Amino acid sequence: MDSDSINNASSTSVHNGKDFSRKKRRSAKLKQCKLDARREQWLSQSVVKNKVCCKAGTNGGDSKRTPRGERDSSLENLEMRRRGEANGGGENGSVQHESDSESLPSNSPTSSLLLGGTGSGTSFTNSSSGSTSSGGCCSGSITEEEGDDGCLDDWEAVADALAADDDKQEMERNENYRENLCSGSTPEHEPNPQLGLNGARSDLRNSKPECQRTVQMATGTSRAWRVDDAFRPQTLPNLSKQRSFPATDRHFGQGGVSWVRSSAFSPPSSCPICCEDLDFTDSSFLPCLCGFRLCLFCHKRILEDDGRCPGCRKAYEHDPMEAEASIQGGSMTFRLARSCSMIARS
Amino acid sequence: MMIGGGRSSSSSTTATAAGGTWVSTTSVSTSGKRIQREMSELNVDPPPHCSAGPKGDNLYHWVATIIGPPGTPYQGGIFFLDITFPSDYPFKPPKVVFKTRIYHCNVDAAGNLSLDILKDSWSPALTVTKVLTAIKSIFTNPDPYNPHVSGIARLYLTDKAKHDEIAAEWTLRFAK
Repeated sequence: MDSDSINNASSTSVHNGKDFSRKKRRSAKLKQCKLDARREQWLSQSVVKNKVCCKAGTNGGDSKRTPRGERDSSLENLEMRRRGEANGGGENGSVQHESDSESLPSNSPTSSLLLGGTGSGTSFTNSSSGSTSSGGCCSGSITEEEGDDGCLDDWEAVADALAADDDKQEMERNENYRENLCSGSTPEHEPNPQLGLNGARSDLRNSKPECQRTVQMATGTSRAWRVDDAFRPQTLPNLSKQRSFPATDRHFGQGGVSWVRSSAFSPPSSCPICCEDLDFTDSSFLPCLCGFRLCLFCHKRILEDDGRCPGCRKAYEHDPMEAEASIQGGSMTFRLARSCSMIARS
Repeated sequence: MMIGGGRSSSSSTTATAAGGTWVSTTSVSTSGKRIQREMSELNVDPPPHCSAGPKGDNLYHWVATIIGPPGTPYQGGIFFLDITFPSDYPFKPPKVVFKTRIYHCNVDAAGNLSLDILKDSWSPALTVTKVLTAIKSIFTNPDPYNPHVSGIARLYLTDKAKHDEIAAEWTLRFAK
């Protein structure tokens, strides 16, 4: 028993690093010193907690040996918790607030809940998870915590908990399972006007389940929301929007030929003439104002021959950069072409 | 025959390429890769009423078919064309010749076309697919002001019904 708990603690410290970087990337709001302090605190508590877990566990204490059982129990816990919220909604709401204020100073609601239990309202979820968690107390405690302080409004916590379960068991993640869970809790938590108010608090609270999750984190593969995920939280920043932002600025009014614009927007990965891949120099090479791109080899070959751009059939300038520099400030099209090539280069 | 000559000359340029003019070597490998790319594109997404592919194992000699577009006197006819790629292909236009006789002001008795994109207006950005589409378009819209056979062009301008009648007759005779 003692050796088990010690193992758990040591493995936790190993995985903490990954976990931190991951969390930092995701929320980027928690400060390192706070985390360090909290980790130490948690490490000291986890020994106690693990002892309790081992006592509660009937299958030998170490939940790593019973992955299937733990997965089932965690599933049960999630469902139980949701049922609990559905049943005692109003009561839970008030209790959530209470436990929030409690959890802030104590930093260890889980251990206290496990050891004694604090509120009357929280005892509902607490008891339910306690009764079902035969093999895995750790996952039970996570769901407890989320149920307690209403962490479900933070989607990342749920996703992390689920991902952590799967990591622990080294099983392929069942997409349907996760989406079902997400969709199940969607109507409750998708519209979240309180997030602005709760943001900081929930982040603080998240640090604790995060730490406990490290017990379960075996591989530490980070999973993020895909941009096109239907259940991606709306509160996450929309990266695709930001990425596409500079492209929208690239309007240079040289219409006429329809493919000119498309080829200018998305530079081809291979030369349209010789079908060889464009390297960095080639892809930043814009020899003609029409926007037709080609590799330097083909450009040189064409210059030796008839010297006309394949895109617009107009004669190439001998040195496009020089031409731009000489007429800089002159015609609008030259300056536009210049800025376009600079954008493409960046 | 002609293709073999093109290949041997290209290999000779490859041999001299070590001397320094490696542009010609790239053009040789360029044409092969480019033609292969066009072939796969044609297989994936062929233009309507068209097909094309290498005649044998020679990548530089293709045979293409164009089915006469409906609404024209060439409707229902199957017209075969030979396409011969030069060794410096994308930089020089392919040579396209009608193998099926056709009554058309832009195609002479030997099957040669008067099509500007196969001559002066050729661009390395053009592909076989686009060339075939252009040839298909002169089925529907002959260019009598830039004719290969002036007699047909004159008839087309003066008596289009008569022209269409002869063209349909030829199509029935040679292309079916």
